[in-house]
Amino acid sequence: MSTNGRNGPLAALEGVRVVHGRGEAAVAALDGVDFEIDSGDRVAVLGRSGSGKTTLLHVLGGLIRPTAGKVLWQGRPLSSLDEAARTGALAKGISFVFQSANLLPHFTAVENVAFAIHAAHGRADSPLHPDALLALVGLSSKTENLPSELSGGEAQRVALARSLAQQPLLLLCDEPTGHLDSDTGERVLDLIDALREETGFALLIATHDSDVAARFDRTLELHDGRIVQEQRHEVLA
Amino acid sequence: MSTAAALGLRRAIRAPGSTIERIVVLAAAVALLGAVLLFVGHSLQTMTGSAVRSVPLDWQGPVASPQAALRVASRVKRQPGVLAAVPAATGPFAGIEHNGPGGQIAAGAGAILAVPPDYLRHFRTFRLLTGTLQPGKIVLDQQLAATLQARVGDSVVLRPARGVKPVRFVVSGVGLVNTGDVLFQPLNPLIGPAPAQPPANVAILPFQTFAQKVAPALHPLSVGIAAAPGSVAGVQWQVQAQVDPRSLSGSPSNALKRATQIKNATERTLTGQVQFVDNLADSLTSAAGDALYAQALYIMLGVPGALIALGLAYLAALGTVERDRRELALLRARGASRRFLLQLAGLESLVLAIPAGALGAAVALGAVRLLVGGAGITVGRILVAFALCTALAWAGAVAARGSTVVDVLRRSVTEGRRTGRRDKPPFWERLYLDVIALGISGLVYWLTARTGFSAVVTPDSNPTLSLSIYMFLAPAFLWMGATLLLARLRGRLFSWVLGRAAGNRATTLPAFLAASAARRGAAVNRGLVLVGLLLAFGVNLGVFSATYDQQARVDAQLTLGADVVVDAPPGSVTRQKLEQKIAHVPGVAATSAVDHSYAYVGPDLQDTFGVDPATIARATGLRDSYFVGGSAAQMLHRLRARRDAILVSKETITDYSLRLGDLLNLRVLDGRTGHFKVAPFHVAGIVQEFPSAPRDSFMVANLGYLQSVSHEAGPNVIFVKADGDPVAVARRIAQATKPEGTVVRNIRRQTAQTVSSITTVSLSGLSKIEEGFAIVLAAAALMLFLVVGLGERRRELATMAALGASRREIAAFLWTEAALVLAAGLAVAALLGWILSEMLVAMLQHVFDPPPDHLAAPWLFLGGLVAAALGGALLAAFGAMYAIRRLPLGAILREE
Repeated sequence: MSTNGRNGPLAALEGVRVVHGRGEAAVAALDGVDFEIDSGDRVAVLGRSGSGKTTLLHVLGGLIRPTAGKVLWQGRPLSSLDEAARTGALAKGISFVFQSANLLPHFTAVENVAFAIHAAHGRADSPLHPDALLALVGLSSKTENLPSELSGGEAQRVALARSLAQQPLLLLCDEPTGHLDSDTGERVLDLIDALREETGFALLIATHDSDVAARFDRTLELHDGRIVQEQRHEVLA
Repeated sequence: MSTAAALGLRRAIRAPGSTIERIVVLAAAVALLGAVLLFVGHSLQTMTGSAVRSVPLDWQGPVASPQAALRVASRVKRQPGVLAAVPAATGPFAGIEHNGPGGQIAAGAGAILAVPPDYLRHFRTFRLLTGTLQPGKIVLDQQLAATLQARVGDSVVLRPARGVKPVRFVVSGVGLVNTGDVLFQPLNPLIGPAPAQPPANVAILPFQTFAQKVAPALHPLSVGIAAAPGSVAGVQWQVQAQVDPRSLSGSPSNALKRATQIKNATERTLTGQVQFVDNLADSLTSAAGDALYAQALYIMLGVPGALIALGLAYLAALGTVERDRRELALLRARGASRRFLLQLAGLESLVLAIPAGALGAAVALGAVRLLVGGAGITVGRILVAFALCTALAWAGAVAARGSTVVDVLRRSVTEGRRTGRRDKPPFWERLYLDVIALGISGLVYWLTARTGFSAVVTPDSNPTLSLSIYMFLAPAFLWMGATLLLARLRGRLFSWVLGRAAGNRATTLPAFLAASAARRGAAVNRGLVLVGLLLAFGVNLGVFSATYDQQARVDAQLTLGADVVVDAPPGSVTRQKLEQKIAHVPGVAATSAVDHSYAYVGPDLQDTFGVDPATIARATGLRDSYFVGGSAAQMLHRLRARRDAILVSKETITDYSLRLGDLLNLRVLDGRTGHFKVAPFHVAGIVQEFPSAPRDSFMVANLGYLQSVSHEAGPNVIFVKADGDPVAVARRIAQATKPEGTVVRNIRRQTAQTVSSITTVSLSGLSKIEEGFAIVLAAAALMLFLVVGLGERRRELATMAALGASRREIAAFLWTEAALVLAAGLAVAALLGWILSEMLVAMLQHVFDPPPDHLAAPWLFLGGLVAAALGGALLAAFGAMYAIRRLPLGAILREE
């Protein structure tokens, strides 16, 4: 059921198929995937390496185009949007947190966040303040550090702050704790949860860890590019 | 080995775009060096050919008798490497007479050349204008025939010596003897060639006829004893020989070595019978000296460009350095040995080098062929060029690849014990080699400046360049020092300036761009080093070549006098108002009448030029360097200020202890009386060069005053400045003044004729090749910088795209750096190019006559260079926009 004021889900995949490579080397990363996510949903995509989790996130976020099927964003096919509209969707609607933080290496922590604000809103006088966002993720003391001067956990928190700068409706997290130790990973997930509570974005997280997946409302299990199981959890507040 | 080869080939095929890019860049680099080397080889061969052709008579061996001449000549011509050898003789005659229709005409003493009738098959000491050389008959030189008014078939009477019975000959031909200075020189093999004043009258007799009818009446000269220069005192029996030019190939040094071997072998075979005066070796020695100078100059101008081009190959390799590092590290982790990785690097480089070498050789050959034609480009030369280009391309590819391999090898071995060894500056930086190189450059320049830049070629048996090699060290070290200094700076200056521009914290796009560029100072500096040095190479080359060409034109103008020079019969300039008539001819910008006459300073007869100080500078170029102690304008002002003012040479000032303002009495020819008379002048300045003046002493005075004391009929020369093509203007002037009997000459023709030290080395071909490459490489360098930037930053750019930045904004991160590199590169090029040009021109001032007042700026070429760099950057920027649009974001962002 829609909660975003439109008829239909916030984002959806309809019969999506993504094939990497050609000829005999062709591999179907996603094979006929149907999936919907509504505003405020908390969904985990569980699967082993190579099951198609990252591809699902990328195709939903518009980073790659499906070989077949449709990707709908707020009821409209993403492929029907022109480049400016797609860029706008990426800038303001959909935000990523990657397995590697993927911070811009020549910008400080605060500039990484400021650049995201600039890309999303294009104005220097945006209501969002990069320092405030970094404070939100507990990095007030590292604002002027370059990514090379941050630890893995700190870099991932900057990436989170950066994604918040886009004021997303949908946050796509690709194994955000994959490169972190378990304690740090736990803290990052707590932080994501807290931020979601505060801002209300829909959250789709890819993970191979069933314990992590268990923290979410819904789990989709992927195997060889297909959704083999969908599970709803009772989550304690 | 085969596994490494297969893997290398597979890696090259797997990334065709990057492979093609690296092949093209390597090909461009080696093509420049290949073209320079081919051109130098071709030039040296041309120099050898010119030197050999310029010698009319290779060897002259004095012998004691006609029998000895015949015997020795027949043996010499059988020696390997000898094309021809003939018996010959020279001797004097006391007089010659001809009874023509107008009565008896007599000519004074002269010289006889005696040679076999078939002499002209292989020798070019004279040519027959009409008739033939026949036994028992005589051939007269054109001038002698004109004096005697004798024609073929007439009889002349030759008097060999005073008091000797004259001999009658029928004239069988008229010839033109244009090498009298060599033919009649005194022959002393120990001294060598000593060209002498040629005799005024020359007659040619068949060898046997001379031996039988004339020689018995003359005294023979002793073998090995030099006669007095300028006179033919007795009979000189000799053997003349020509070396086969086909055995003299390669550079002048090689040809000289071979020619000397042939001569030594011949003399050894005929020990005690003949020793030669070697005119050929003399010419080749001189050419070898010129060749050394040319090689040094070519290398100095060409090699920096080629080395920078190889630097581009390194830059191209950087585009894939991350991928290479990952793959090599993977191979190392899977157990690939150190040897295997080195083999792989070598073989991969070979995969790139073979097509790059072939392409480079083809481009080099094409460029050289386009400029100098197909002459001298043989299959052997093509193969050598290919081998050379391939070897260079391989070396370039290995060097470019080396850092990645070394990095991977070092990491795997020393990963665990790197602490404390990181961030140590390179060895050369700790030794301050950049500062030392700049210091040496300055020191060498200062030392050579102190000695007056005496870049004198000293040709002897082993040709060397006196001081020149050391002089070229100054620009060579300047190149090295500047390159290392730029590398040492690592863009710190960039970072500082851009950091200031970005402010404390970037929040706007310009500030993000500045902040990003500031923190990428080292990468930006890498581009700056290459682009700046490449543009500096272009600026240096262009400015030096333009100055060189400018001086060649100045040389020609100095020799001729002006763009167009009109020689007029005495009196016609004034009587026919010739100057005004010429001034109205279309295309004439300015005219000035000059009186060229002679006057005695003491016992010295000197050329004297009467000029109009008000108009002379408009009609011809007067450079400040022509005068000592003042500029051209100041000297003309001094002439105007005092009617009897005169400018004299420095030698005259020294020889006669003169000072400015001193009275100088000259003896000038009085046109009324026909006798010399004393006329007072006052010394107003020193002149060392003047249009149309000879290289020795001369004087320049006011035209009006000179005429008032000499009573001459008026000026006899008119200098004309052409507005447009001087050849066309000269043609129109010649038509307009034909009735006045003028002779009109133009500078275009003079430039072609002027032979001076500056034109012995042709720079134009090399300059064109290098300028073409400089323009192409400047564009390529900027393109490459952008392409490498795109390759290195693809993950960063993909992240920006994922954050929602527009393609235009993302592309700005690439092109702003290219713009920075271009702007800074232009500043570096202007400074370094200018210093290098000043240095080269100052060092070579002795080859410029007169020395240049200032450097010539080839604005068209420089504009083209900048436009090419800008065009390359723009093209690459558009390419980058397109490439960014096609970035596989998903694939890039999931890369580890």
